[in-house]
Amino acid sequence: MQKMLEATAPLIETCKLTKQFGTVQALSDVNLQVMPGEIYGLLGPNGAGKTTAIKTILGLLEPTSGWIKVVGLNPAENPIEVKSKIGYVAENSIVYDSLSPRDFLEFVASVRKTDRAVTNELVAQLANAFDMAPYFDSPIATLSLGMKQKVALIASLIHQPSVLLLDEPLNGLDAKSSRIVKELVGFHAQKGGAVLFSTHIMEVAQQVCTRIGIIYHGKIIAEGTLEELRSKTEDSVGTLEEVFLKLTHEESEIADTMRTLREAFFHNEAK
Amino acid sequence: MKLSEAWRLSKTCYREMVYRSLAEERGRMWWGAFGRNRQGKESQDDLELTKRALKIAKFDKGIVAFFNIVVSIAPFVSFFLGASGFGLTSAVSLSLAVTFGFTALYAIQTLSSFMSPESSALLSTMPLNREEFSVITLFSFIRSFDYMVAGSIISQVVVVAYLTGSPAATLIMLTASTMNAVFAVAIALCFTRIFQRNMLRGGRSKASTVLRLFFILMWGLLLVAVGFLFSMPWYIIPNLQSALLSAGQAWSLMLSLLYPFSAGVVVTALVSSVTSTALLSASVALVGYGLLAVFAGKWSLGTVRLVSQGVGVNIARVSAQDFSIKPRGPLLGYVAKDLKAASRNPATAFFFALPVIEAVIVTLLNSNLETLRTALVLVATCMGGIFALFLPLALLGAEGKGLEYTKTLPISSQRIAVPKALISTATYVPVPLALGVLSLFKPLTSLYALLIPLLMTLAVASASVFEIKLFLRTAAKGKIASVLNDFEKLFVGVLVVMAPIVVYVAAFFATFSHVLSVLALGGVAFAELATAFYLLKR
Repeated sequence: MQKMLEATAPLIETCKLTKQFGTVQALSDVNLQVMPGEIYGLLGPNGAGKTTAIKTILGLLEPTSGWIKVVGLNPAENPIEVKSKIGYVAENSIVYDSLSPRDFLEFVASVRKTDRAVTNELVAQLANAFDMAPYFDSPIATLSLGMKQKVALIASLIHQPSVLLLDEPLNGLDAKSSRIVKELVGFHAQKGGAVLFSTHIMEVAQQVCTRIGIIYHGKIIAEGTLEELRSKTEDSVGTLEEVFLKLTHEESEIADTMRTLREAFFHNEAK
Repeated sequence: MKLSEAWRLSKTCYREMVYRSLAEERGRMWWGAFGRNRQGKESQDDLELTKRALKIAKFDKGIVAFFNIVVSIAPFVSFFLGASGFGLTSAVSLSLAVTFGFTALYAIQTLSSFMSPESSALLSTMPLNREEFSVITLFSFIRSFDYMVAGSIISQVVVVAYLTGSPAATLIMLTASTMNAVFAVAIALCFTRIFQRNMLRGGRSKASTVLRLFFILMWGLLLVAVGFLFSMPWYIIPNLQSALLSAGQAWSLMLSLLYPFSAGVVVTALVSSVTSTALLSASVALVGYGLLAVFAGKWSLGTVRLVSQGVGVNIARVSAQDFSIKPRGPLLGYVAKDLKAASRNPATAFFFALPVIEAVIVTLLNSNLETLRTALVLVATCMGGIFALFLPLALLGAEGKGLEYTKTLPISSQRIAVPKALISTATYVPVPLALGVLSLFKPLTSLYALLIPLLMTLAVASASVFEIKLFLRTAAKGKIASVLNDFEKLFVGVLVVMAPIVVYVAAFFATFSHVLSVLALGGVAFAELATAFYLLKR
């Protein structure tokens, strides 16, 4: 980790990253860099390309053009090395339903070849923090969405990766667990790791991320700290939501939509 | 609500069930997320997938119904061939017994996707009262078995009507066949429910594991029983016939009390003479079984409703005493995960009974012979090998959505393939072991014959690798049609297993030398293994 702190090279880097699905341009010339110690928030509406970006960086999707480097490695050329350095939480927690969290974590730790003592200590701390004792030996199929998300989070941290790719990691989590996850992400960055944190919730991005990239229709349309983003909209006190709506030019669209909806809603009621 | 309307609506639940079972078993999320080439195409494929799932389910039901009709008619064949020693009583009894086993087995295989409130999640949000909801859910459940149940009932009734020409006997047969179907479905429902409850309960108790193992063995034995009844009627029917009809024997009286023999006795009594004691006891028993069938039907109705509403599932949250885990290394970790995941799914757990079935079949095949013939060793080896080939696909199926997660781990496709090939090869091991044990008691026509099952282990391992690589290749490319069609993978696997045996036979007829034939078989098996290694490394 010390090496990572000293390093000046980005842990995640994409250059002119493009991903096309038929006629749909999911990503268009995405350039981003996440440095050690940084929590980069990928903020965008549904369907903006956040998940596609994360899956492409992880190597699950092949880019149409452009290149990616994770810890200096290209995921297409070194998929296994890259995946060994990444901890990933998917948008919809994907885990083996018939296994218990214990079985699942055993499987992940086995594949990732982690040290038994270190892993046990880490798992015990995380499972305690997430109050998992009553659920640790239950089939994952019987767990709530939030509990599944906790299992996925522990699995993503089990090998102490240098890079965390978190796709809406707070989905389904209660207030306490959300807070713990935010703190954990902070600890990871403090240790010199890099985090790519995708969310569509402005408050979360504002609280957690050190730098934010606004992705819209597959393009990063603005990037920087909240202050830098504010300066781009000439709004020095606006919340991230206000800044976001201005940058994506969705303010006037929302006003029109709400007017139409209001008319339809009350018109139906009058009938 | 009209029943016709309920039947029409039940198609939505049924469609969801079919789609869910295929999607879960084949890792729908995996190919969905990883195989996308074009966004528009993918959404089209979703629709196509649903249609395909229904077509496959229909084809599957059709095939199973065909086999069910064949096995229900088979015991009556002697009447048409004019063979001696075959009676109506035993033919009716056997027909009912075999269709019972076959229907129950099929029901167990398909019920796992039904045992969830998610299958009727959409329905539960609709403004329907409790009764309407129950009827629609029941109809969606019936749609899974309609072809095979209707097929067996109609074929049994038609055959009995043709053979007896008696309306009363035909009516009794119709009642007995319907009862048979009700019992089979109720038993399957009961088994699956217990299995699911056991699985959902969680915890690390040894009792749960033992119960699961017990069920796996039960399914295996059930299959053996069906296979035995189907393949051995020519040996057991004459004895059964005389046992059932000989008067004054206590155990024949007992048999007439037992289902399905009681049905056979009553049907026969309406067209020919049967001892009055046997007829009385069988009639009383049949009335009792009729009442039991009514109860079983009502229980099934209630259970189906409870299942679809998510009621009656007890989940015990046993607090973990510690959070210790045991990392085992990638290969062992993957093997352990595969074994756990597949053994907890009722639809795939059954395959773990294959070693038991193989050992029993090999022993049965050789039981009546004084010498252990090379031809029988070849047949037994071939059968065992083909049985083992079901496992790689079952293991891949059991991965389900988890495959999407696996793709995010630092693991090669080789690492996914090897544990599955190892497990399927391990399930074949009882075949050489059983043959080895048999050779201790029976002389061999050639000592070299014992090398055949051993060398065939290599062919089974290679065939497993071929199947898995085919699955992974097509899945990675998102070719849904290929992924859904397991037959082609199985076909390739069977060819790989058969090739060395065919070469052995050809070599033997060319040289009449067991040594050279075994060498030829070994050569092909090693060549297949080398190809499998090459495929793994690619």
